[in-house]
Amino acid sequence: MTDSSTSISPSSLPPLDSPEVVDLHRKMKRRNLRGRLFTYASAILIALWILVPIFFVFSMAFTTEDTVRSYPKNFLPFIPFSTETMTFFLQSEGVLESLLNSIIVAVVTLVLSTIIAVPAGYAVARYLFPGRDLFRLAVLAVRAFPIVVLSIPLAVLFLRAGLFDSVWSLALMHTALAMPTTILVVSSVFASVPYELEEAGQVFGATPLQSFRYIVTPLVLPGIAASGLFTFVLSWNEVFAASVLTLENRTLPALVLTSLANSPDAFQFAGGFFLMVPSIIFMFFIRKYLFNMWGQVSK
Amino acid sequence: MSEIRIESVNKSFGDKLAVNDANLTIHEQEFLVLVGPSGCGKTTLLRAIAGLGMADSGRITIGGRDVTYLPPRQRNISMVFQSYAIFPHMTVRDNIGFGLKMNGEDSKEIDRRVNDAAELLHIEELLDRRPAAMSGGQRQRVAVARALAMQAEVLLMDEPLSNLDALLRLEMRAELKKLLAEVNATTVYVTHDQIEALSMGDRVAVMKDGIIQQVADPTTVYDRPANRFVGSFIGNPPMNFVDGVLDRSSGGPVAVKVGEVTLSPDAEVDSAVRDINGDRVVVGIRAENMEALAEAKDGAFAVDVSVVEPLGSQNLLTMDVAGHRMKISTHPSFPVEAGQRLWIRFPGDKIRWVDPNTEAMIYE
Amino acid sequence: MPYLLIAPALIYLAMFFAYPMFQGLMLAIFDDDAALVLVDEPSLDGQEVERLTQGTRLNILGRQGNLLTDDSEGTELLTEQWFLVVGESAGGAEVSGWAPEARVRIRDEAADGTPLGGTIRPRLGAGSDEATPLLAEPNETSETVAELEQRAPVTIEEIAVLEVWFQVQASEDSSKVAGWAPSRFVEVFDDEETGRVDEGSVGEFTTGFITKMFNDSFFSDAWQTTLLLMLLILPLQFVLAMLMALVIDARLKLGSGFLYIFTLPMGMSDLAVGILFFSIFTGNGLLNSVLEAIGILDGPKTFLSADTIPWIIFAIVLAELWRATSIVMVIIVSGLQAIPRETLEAAELFGAGYWQRVRHIMLPLLLPSIQVALILRTILAFQVFAVVIALSGGDIVTVLANETYRQYFEFRNNNVASAYALFILLLSMASAFFYLRAVRAQTEVANT
Repeated sequence: MTDSSTSISPSSLPPLDSPEVVDLHRKMKRRNLRGRLFTYASAILIALWILVPIFFVFSMAFTTEDTVRSYPKNFLPFIPFSTETMTFFLQSEGVLESLLNSIIVAVVTLVLSTIIAVPAGYAVARYLFPGRDLFRLAVLAVRAFPIVVLSIPLAVLFLRAGLFDSVWSLALMHTALAMPTTILVVSSVFASVPYELEEAGQVFGATPLQSFRYIVTPLVLPGIAASGLFTFVLSWNEVFAASVLTLENRTLPALVLTSLANSPDAFQFAGGFFLMVPSIIFMFFIRKYLFNMWGQVSK
Repeated sequence: MSEIRIESVNKSFGDKLAVNDANLTIHEQEFLVLVGPSGCGKTTLLRAIAGLGMADSGRITIGGRDVTYLPPRQRNISMVFQSYAIFPHMTVRDNIGFGLKMNGEDSKEIDRRVNDAAELLHIEELLDRRPAAMSGGQRQRVAVARALAMQAEVLLMDEPLSNLDALLRLEMRAELKKLLAEVNATTVYVTHDQIEALSMGDRVAVMKDGIIQQVADPTTVYDRPANRFVGSFIGNPPMNFVDGVLDRSSGGPVAVKVGEVTLSPDAEVDSAVRDINGDRVVVGIRAENMEALAEAKDGAFAVDVSVVEPLGSQNLLTMDVAGHRMKISTHPSFPVEAGQRLWIRFPGDKIRWVDPNTEAMIYE
Repeated sequence: MPYLLIAPALIYLAMFFAYPMFQGLMLAIFDDDAALVLVDEPSLDGQEVERLTQGTRLNILGRQGNLLTDDSEGTELLTEQWFLVVGESAGGAEVSGWAPEARVRIRDEAADGTPLGGTIRPRLGAGSDEATPLLAEPNETSETVAELEQRAPVTIEEIAVLEVWFQVQASEDSSKVAGWAPSRFVEVFDDEETGRVDEGSVGEFTTGFITKMFNDSFFSDAWQTTLLLMLLILPLQFVLAMLMALVIDARLKLGSGFLYIFTLPMGMSDLAVGILFFSIFTGNGLLNSVLEAIGILDGPKTFLSADTIPWIIFAIVLAELWRATSIVMVIIVSGLQAIPRETLEAAELFGAGYWQRVRHIMLPLLLPSIQVALILRTILAFQVFAVVIALSGGDIVTVLANETYRQYFEFRNNNVASAYALFILLLSMASAFFYLRAVRAQTEVANT
């Protein structure tokens, strides 16, 4: 453990401000920074690994169709900049409708799952009732359930009920998928607001409902909003069930998927872009709540 | 080989200067206690010695080696953390032997030292258990055993007793002191409890706001504090302080008026007190150093006792002297009740004089 | 009160989750029309005498019309219309009764085509001068109440639609008894004397679909590819996620910026990622451009074709790595943050270098998080779908989820599609159990 270069007998320690001491300290500090530098380098490498492809799609989505088809591809992005690809995509058959469908499905899913999940989350957080653990276990099990397995029987069910090929049926399914996560997140959000706050409100004269509305709601709104955003994006991105459950009224992912084989590159790039944009925006708002959501997985 | 020298060490966190130009030499095998209120920088200084939060400037040497910017494991040190920092997924045996294993000692040696350390701390029967089921006191012993097994030259302890309940703390204090006396390491011990500091250390370093106020053996720190802060921080109840006015008018020794009472500094301090800038001086005296008399005597002055706190081993009386509240401690056999009039005398050698301009205590 | 609050969620999940799940299970192991039930008399109240499986060859022994009580819109039904007619008998009296449509020639129709009136058809051939009987009920066995001469004019008062029932017997298995069955389930051959069971009327549990799935030509490819991808992707992903988590944990400056970037892929649809990597690996894509610019290649190389399956696999692995590592990273970071700082400082102080700390302290304490991440990630990996389609069109390379889709869409076979889905479910559950056991065992071992 003895580093001979720094070992000097006590009586002959050079004074603090002497050049050898200054030099030695500088060397030692630099050695300590090495690890940090390595970490920075790794971070940047990984960041590039993630950003470069996204950047590429973006730039392809905003150039001329020729550039999209051209080879070899330029590194300079957005040259030439053009909305050609975009307009081509948006004018392609069924695209605007599918965009609309995607929005409708996502919004309905958002609203429906929030309405149903929030009370359930509140109940799980605030009340200790028999069956609570069972309920939570069921919710967790549902969350881990493969969507593939669910889609076919639901398709058959909807077919028989006459609801097939409608945005409503897809929204119903997406709600079923999104609900478990929402319940779990909402319950953890409510759990983080101590009940004493509600009680304090009541002590000062508010009814339980008022207490809830003025005290609890502002505190839980961000978390609930975050999980709502998560639901929106989940629905927006979902492709398997959308392809199975819709035919004429496709959502965007279903449309893109089914026309993949036949569509030109430009179409795909623009489609990919549209699929990505909400996620990127959403991730920006949600990164604070990420650990709340996925961290809760570890019971 | 294990003298610790701290020279002009500074450490800041953002705008706050946590350790301000610290200079301290800890002698080989000395047990030094760093004590002070929370936020005074004692833990920061300890961690700088450990290498866990390195100094911004200055130098720290151990046994003549400049370790200022060396990583902790190259410093030949060992530490007991405030939260014990036991590894929850390992048995006690593996916990204690962790450092030895990291250093590549052979397994026989590890076993021997682990068993020795466990014996010292009386935790042999816990060796194959996991920390999860253990009490705080047991975990603390594991932490100490782990540190001792390293047989390092320097042992650092960060408030090892503060998470224990009062009774356990008392027991462990004595046990730890005895144990550490047999260990040959230079020990730096951080605590906020001044009783712990006085009872355990060879020397005590009192810190406040990042600055070392005084470094001396317990008796000196108690009896001859360097400044007002040390006087009031060390000792329970804290030292009493009252404001006084200097009267240099007479040609002879200077007089200090505290309200109606006139005090005269002893001969040793007379000239120093006289040299104080201005007319004010602060008079300090400890509760147990005042004389309480049932009737008026020479040099004593009258006070009214407002509160009597019977503490069992002593009575703590609160009284008003020239507008200041002071506490005096009397033997339980001395009869007194609230509202009673008493006569108090300040023995000259027990009075401490504070220069109000510097807050420093004057001794000569 | 709490039950009131969770009730909607419970009901919803029961309806749109539990029930379909059960249905899906049924689809995979229950054949809705496996067997045809034969009854002792041509009526819906008949007793079952025999069951014949789909496809059995039949001898047609008899036929009869029966009132159609079922409103189902089966266009395959062999139906007869019977008319309640009113006309003048040979004796001049007004008579009414039921006669099959074969005996009535329609001459008057309403605007919507409903027959209103006509004449009795003459018979051809033998018995051509016989009168046509009118029956009390629209049933061949009913009693005759009147007779009408041929060409007698009639008005039609009521119309009844009958379904024809056949009396059949298995032609190749003499042990099977004869019985009656409605025509919709029977296909009659041109000779009108033989036929086969077209559809079953009743369901049976069967392993047929599951067997069909195993024998499906795409099955072994899909199964092997899924497994291969799993084995390649999971370990790589966990290593990458661990590295990313360690970077985040190091709390660099601009740490939250890095965090945002690292978690970007989390919100992306697997289709978008598939397209993204397609655009990189395609003939005139990014990869070729870069390689050519650097000088490694002279011309574009085809990465995504039937001849370059390893490259396709590589592209899929890369795409999944890119997309799904963030989730694992987040779970690991949460686990890391739960480790007290002083514990790691103690490890450092007692001699552990960085990678030693990772191995001896962090990894063991992360085992619960890793376990959770493994379960989640494996279940998701079994459902990889859009990425595979984007990169290979679903034909060159296929996975189990893709087969589910194909069975549903191309082959229109809900049952085999459900069999695939069931298979995926069982695999997911099996891996979950495996991880729960394995990681617990690891925790034991790590601590000895």
